[in-house]
Amino acid sequence: MTELLVKNAFVIDPLNGIRGEVMDIAVRDGWIVESVGDGAEVIDAAGCLTLPGGIDSHTHICGTKVNFGRYMMPEDMRAGRTQRRGVMHSTSGYSVPTTYGNSYRYCAMGYTSVLEGAMAPLEARHTHEEFAATPLQDTMANTLFDGNWPVMEAVRDGDVKRAAAIVAWTLAAVKGFAIKLTNPGGSECWGWGKNVHCIREMVPYFGVSPAEIIQTLIRANEMLRLPHSVHLHCNNLGVPGNYTCTIGSMDLAPDLNPDRQSLYLTHVQFHAYGGTSWKDICSKAEPVAYTVNRKPQITIDMGQMMFGKTTTMTADGPMEFNLYRLHHNKWSNHDVELETTSGIIPVYYSRTSVVNCVMWAIGLELALLVKNPWQCLLATDNPNGGPFIKYPEIIALLMSRRYREEELKTLAPGTHSRITLPSLDRELDWHDIAVMTRAGQARALGIRSIGKGHLAPGAEADIAIYPIRVDKTDPSRQYREVIQAFQKTAWTVKRGRPVARDGEILVPGVNKTIWARAKVREELDMGRDPEFARNFDRYYTVRMSNYPVQDVYLQRSLCMESEAQL
Amino acid sequence: MRVILTAGPRKNPFIPVEAETIVPARFLQGVDGITVAAGNRILPLTDVFLVEVEGTAADPSGVEVVLRGDNSRLKRIGEYMEAGKIRVEGNIGMHCGNFMKGGEIEILGGADGWLGREMRGGRILCHGNASHYCGSGYRGEKHGMRGGYLEVRGNAGDFAAEYLAGGEVVIRGDCGDMPGVEMKGGTLTIHGSCTRPCGNMTGGTCTVLGSARGMLPTFRRTGTVVHEPGGVILTRFEGDVANRGKGTLLAREWQYTL
Repeated sequence: MTELLVKNAFVIDPLNGIRGEVMDIAVRDGWIVESVGDGAEVIDAAGCLTLPGGIDSHTHICGTKVNFGRYMMPEDMRAGRTQRRGVMHSTSGYSVPTTYGNSYRYCAMGYTSVLEGAMAPLEARHTHEEFAATPLQDTMANTLFDGNWPVMEAVRDGDVKRAAAIVAWTLAAVKGFAIKLTNPGGSECWGWGKNVHCIREMVPYFGVSPAEIIQTLIRANEMLRLPHSVHLHCNNLGVPGNYTCTIGSMDLAPDLNPDRQSLYLTHVQFHAYGGTSWKDICSKAEPVAYTVNRKPQITIDMGQMMFGKTTTMTADGPMEFNLYRLHHNKWSNHDVELETTSGIIPVYYSRTSVVNCVMWAIGLELALLVKNPWQCLLATDNPNGGPFIKYPEIIALLMSRRYREEELKTLAPGTHSRITLPSLDRELDWHDIAVMTRAGQARALGIRSIGKGHLAPGAEADIAIYPIRVDKTDPSRQYREVIQAFQKTAWTVKRGRPVARDGEILVPGVNKTIWARAKVREELDMGRDPEFARNFDRYYTVRMSNYPVQDVYLQRSLCMESEAQL
Repeated sequence: MRVILTAGPRKNPFIPVEAETIVPARFLQGVDGITVAAGNRILPLTDVFLVEVEGTAADPSGVEVVLRGDNSRLKRIGEYMEAGKIRVEGNIGMHCGNFMKGGEIEILGGADGWLGREMRGGRILCHGNASHYCGSGYRGEKHGMRGGYLEVRGNAGDFAAEYLAGGEVVIRGDCGDMPGVEMKGGTLTIHGSCTRPCGNMTGGTCTVLGSARGMLPTFRRTGTVVHEPGGVILTRFEGDVANRGKGTLLAREWQYTL
């Protein structure tokens, strides 16, 4: 039995309605309890902001495309080098660091759970192997269904139950967590050298539209009672004028779940562009944010873009090709059999580019215009909008109008007439930030029930203790202190163990992988479905029996089971 | 001030020694505290070299470092060097003059790969042969040498002056395959022959005074020029057209076959 007592902590715990109270947190064997004995290890958190461990609900840190980013970008490995020290492995890399680099940097920022934004089911083993080398965060994997042939066939036939059954079988086979739709239909079109530009265009051969795929899978998702909702990367990413498509996609979402959203739209910054070309691009964050405000069934994440070097990687193959034609730099493109595609290119977001400046402003506008912080979460779509180590800067930008004004002065001339950011006075408070970086994520991902994202007895003891006095800091003026505090925790506690102290990692760590399994009736078990098996053997390069990820790939795992209602 | 470093005998002379600390400015504060990495071990400089110091100097430009003995596995000397002189009396290992900004390196023997990589200024003179990637960028880097002067009296290996962005590279002998590939500025002069020069070049000037074999078909022939001194007539090409490049390639003899 190990016990820990975090004393005199200034706690903000939005899921339990605690908006800033000095209290003690008792931990026994990795879980938060009412009280512990005198022999417990004590952490004095006096004068420190104490929050539940951070959760990143959309990041790309593990898997084939991240690793291909590392192959492609040897120059990225010149930055961020640290030597082996104590229990820490050597690390390197800036936008696509080594797995340990990711893990240590997240841990120093107080993040204890992360969701890999896109895992191609066929290549799940690689993702799980890299999860095993990301020791200080619990991990989940969004599983791609955007161009899945059997799913699209079921959608064409209007058979929601069959689509749900295929999703259930695939998630259990690859140990995935949720349904990810990346440019639904578009990745299959890309196999024909085409793309879908909005939700009503048809996918060749299958004769289904993105709207049908989205609607069917939202309903299938709720039938399976999966913890998370459908996780959507809308069609037409990064194209001026795409905001209409984004709002159209939002309108597809019915309100089916009282506990969380029914549709999660990710990196909405890339989907809120007005104008008709790069020459007249402007911000359309306002209509997008108003749509979110009208629809409680929607949650978005910012997908904030931060200036500097980074690598973009997504399962949206055609979009990456368009980016390549803009930048003329390196490009990688990949087709994953009957499932999806991917593309990678390096980019440099510059303050001298009006387009980049507008992008930067849109992310912040979204976060400030969405009234309810539970509906707009903080993320950069790491590393697409910028590496996650920029989160503290984003927090400070949201909390300080003065900081935003200073940054606005440095933008390219001509930006101001295209954005609304200069007119926004709102400054988020500590509670809003706690929602946008942990509590909101826990609710959106549906992992509150397993003790994530809050600090009441019964919760898993993931605690981040930031060295900043909330009562003596005015974030709108002292934003530099805010940045500093969020960059490095005084303590990060993971599953009841202190894992980082002032940015130094203390233990090797073992994470766990959270995955979802929906139990379906025997006659809907795709493992026994003759048509599914026949098509599998006909079109895949692997045998169906070799497809599922063996348990050996998961060192510690937590299966979130649900009873499907099919 | 003259610092003479004589490489001592080593148990396993194949283990590389990374010596980015060997730059003239570093010796102004004395030899104490200077370390090098021999394989995975950090050793004091005096364990690897016999060190002799003659005279004193007021600033780095008055320091000359002389390297003697077998230094063919000694890497990264003169990294970020800004002034002073390094004279290598023999061969030198990889990455000699990385990111060099000023001063001079003279190598009496040959140099291994990545000589003067991503150099920004100063002079490097190599009397022997240089291996692959001399004056180029490192893996993934989009800018190779950006300034300064790099001369190889012997031959150079493959990918000489890859991603050349500025400065001047002169190869007195022959080059291997693909010199000046992805070149975007600066000048590259090859007195001997080479194969497949300047693929994907977008700017700068490359002169081949010998023969260029395996000429890429994506260069547009735009006439002839007379090269001084000597009055040699060179064919002038522009390209690489495949990359909408505006570079200049001058060649005395050229053929499309290898």
